[in-house]
Amino acid sequence: MKGALELLQRVSAHADACCWYVAWNPAGTLLASCGGDRAIRIWGKEGDSWECKSVLADGHQRTVRKVAWSPCGKYLASASFDATTCIWKKTNDDFESLTVLEGHENEVKCVAWAPSGNLLATCSRDKSVWIWEVDEEDEYECVSVVNSHTQDVKHVVWHPTQELLASASYDNKVCIYKEEDDDWECRATLEGHESTVWSLAFDREGRRLASCSDDRTVKIWKESTPGDGESSTDESWKCVCTLSGFHGRAVYDVAWCRLTGALATACGDDGVRVFREDPTADPEQPVFFMSAHVPKAHGQDVNCVSWNPKEAGLLATCSDNGEFAIWKYSSDS
Amino acid sequence: MCQTHSLSCTHLINCGLHLLSCMCLVWGRMNEQICFDNLIHAFPQVKESTSVQQVLLSACLSCDGCVSEDEGQRISQQNLEEINRVLALNKKCDTSKHKILVVSVCPQSLPFFAIKFQLDVPAAAKKLCGFLKSVGVLYVFDTTVAASFSILESQREFVQRYRRKHHDSNAMPMFTSSCPGWIRYAERVLGSLVTPHICTARSPQQIMGSLVKDFFARQQKLTPDQIFHVVVAPCFDKKLEAVREEFYKSILEIRDVDCVLTSGEILHLMEQSKVTVEEVHSAPLDHVFGETTDPGMTRHEGRGSEGFLEHIFKHAAKELFGLDVQEIVYKTLRNRDFQEVALERDGETLLQFAAVYGFRNIQTLVHRMRKGKVPYQLVEVLSCPGGCLSGRGQAEGEGGRPDRTLVQQMEEHYSSLPVRLPDTNPEVQRLYQDWLDGHDSPHAQQCLHTQYKIRLTV
Repeated sequence: MKGALELLQRVSAHADACCWYVAWNPAGTLLASCGGDRAIRIWGKEGDSWECKSVLADGHQRTVRKVAWSPCGKYLASASFDATTCIWKKTNDDFESLTVLEGHENEVKCVAWAPSGNLLATCSRDKSVWIWEVDEEDEYECVSVVNSHTQDVKHVVWHPTQELLASASYDNKVCIYKEEDDDWECRATLEGHESTVWSLAFDREGRRLASCSDDRTVKIWKESTPGDGESSTDESWKCVCTLSGFHGRAVYDVAWCRLTGALATACGDDGVRVFREDPTADPEQPVFFMSAHVPKAHGQDVNCVSWNPKEAGLLATCSDNGEFAIWKYSSDS
Repeated sequence: MCQTHSLSCTHLINCGLHLLSCMCLVWGRMNEQICFDNLIHAFPQVKESTSVQQVLLSACLSCDGCVSEDEGQRISQQNLEEINRVLALNKKCDTSKHKILVVSVCPQSLPFFAIKFQLDVPAAAKKLCGFLKSVGVLYVFDTTVAASFSILESQREFVQRYRRKHHDSNAMPMFTSSCPGWIRYAERVLGSLVTPHICTARSPQQIMGSLVKDFFARQQKLTPDQIFHVVVAPCFDKKLEAVREEFYKSILEIRDVDCVLTSGEILHLMEQSKVTVEEVHSAPLDHVFGETTDPGMTRHEGRGSEGFLEHIFKHAAKELFGLDVQEIVYKTLRNRDFQEVALERDGETLLQFAAVYGFRNIQTLVHRMRKGKVPYQLVEVLSCPGGCLSGRGQAEGEGGRPDRTLVQQMEEHYSSLPVRLPDTNPEVQRLYQDWLDGHDSPHAQQCLHTQYKIRLTV
């Protein structure tokens, strides 16, 4: 399945600063970007080009590291190095700051909404993962604080269908969390990466988890079901595939397209890559091959990749040089 | 090399293991586990003595800002070696270095010993007392009397705050002040959002310190420095409380509490002494007055954390509304460590109190404080989920979580004791007169109340 990435547009989004993250809204019509200039920008398509619709400039005192849209698309959460997470509410074309979640001791590295829309997870350099609950009156409350990692937690991501959370850390591990009794706890620790795990992505059904690392590999993990021949301990997730030799530097982000199953990566060697799964391979031992590669997708490190949730093949990436780019991925299959 | 901290383990061994635990404190709970494990593998002969020194502060004290390196060091020095050192000095000829050893035992620790000794609480207390005296301790007290003062002062302060709530925006809600982890977190991280709301009544441990080094010392014609005061507590946070600056009479270099040992550490001391429970001769506990008609062991209201919420609730109901509350009904909110209690009359809510335990619930409370949405007049705040009986010095189970079975057994033992309200305790009333010259004297204010210092670290 040979494929290609065609550049559609390059946008200078955050002047004189890194663009750290880009996120599509659930409808696929807006792209939120955030960066070292402490601002969040919302981009929408006008004709053929992406234009800035809103600037959310006063929410944070330091770099905004990640942004995440709520499943309904009406809220945006932003995680900042100023140790806070801001929740914004979208009314028409405007965003207003609804509330600020405080409590982390230092830089918040990621924020993620659960598919139910009721739960939010944040993680921080303070090594903890916090789970928050939203009630009908838009009130946020801390449900749990989990300290399973021994270092900076870089990323959190929710399972697409179950109330299950995964986190990635500078301690080289991935933790899986579930609610037990009335508290959240780490139920599995995925070991295997040899350096910081930067990001995570579940596949469409949530049966597999992709992780990417400073060790220049991407690993695919699968939850083993009972009766697989392995004893069921808390190590129920096994690494079933490692993509190594493809990336020249740290892999900072990985995104798994819910529409096509394609895996995109953002790399410190300035490249963007797309991997496809070999449909003939044993599902217990999947095989991925590189389908497309743009070696100098950006002038500097690529920090983020994000598949458009509605338009198959549409990919957004962003870089340390402050720009984001929109690509069209196509393959001959 | 210790991977976690990039420090040479040899270097750490040379500097003393207490330095290890102090450095680990500064880097948080999980890191101390890792570093400790690395050390174990590097130097296996070290394992036995350090297993007792593992310091497990509550989540409220786990960030870099809450415990200074200096404090960390002084916390880790509060260990069995310290007790053994004092006991050894007492055996030597140089009487100038002799100390009178006084041990004050927290009522939360007694159910732990009851289970370990397989006795009821009063019998276990006598066994514990007998053991301590057999190793050279002269007096063993129950800190319930000090807790009584803390409760009575908290009750009074609550009523005063309630009565001035309309012209003092900091009066309500009032937060209880018995938990050192909560207090430190409030002072160092939360700041003025919270500290003006904290009850100024000193904690049971702090009052016990004054009772022993001020009142009891004078009764026995001793100077404070001649007494070595040890507190047996359910948690490690109380070790931090003992080194809290203002309880250090710096000119004389005297502390009100010289050393806090956890229930687990005392049990380890018994194991080290190779003495069995059966072999120990029971001895009755002492009382600060020296002699007393012993009414038998009693406890305060509540479920193991001195019942500040329950006592203040009953007192306020009576004092403010003339209502006699017999039974308190708890409503569990989001989890069992966030509970509400309400006083209603004719459909009107007169009082609404909450018990908020554990870091995550404290976060929720603080979040609501920021929004001005706290409906409670009183919140009992504790660092440890499950309250003081679940303290990490006695309830630590697998994976850093409380041993639920053990905690439940402790709760049952605790509940089996009869309740006595501090208001009706004649010993306490007598102490107000003989020790403090009355309820409102300057001496009472000095011994029973404190101030909070905001020293934000961020």
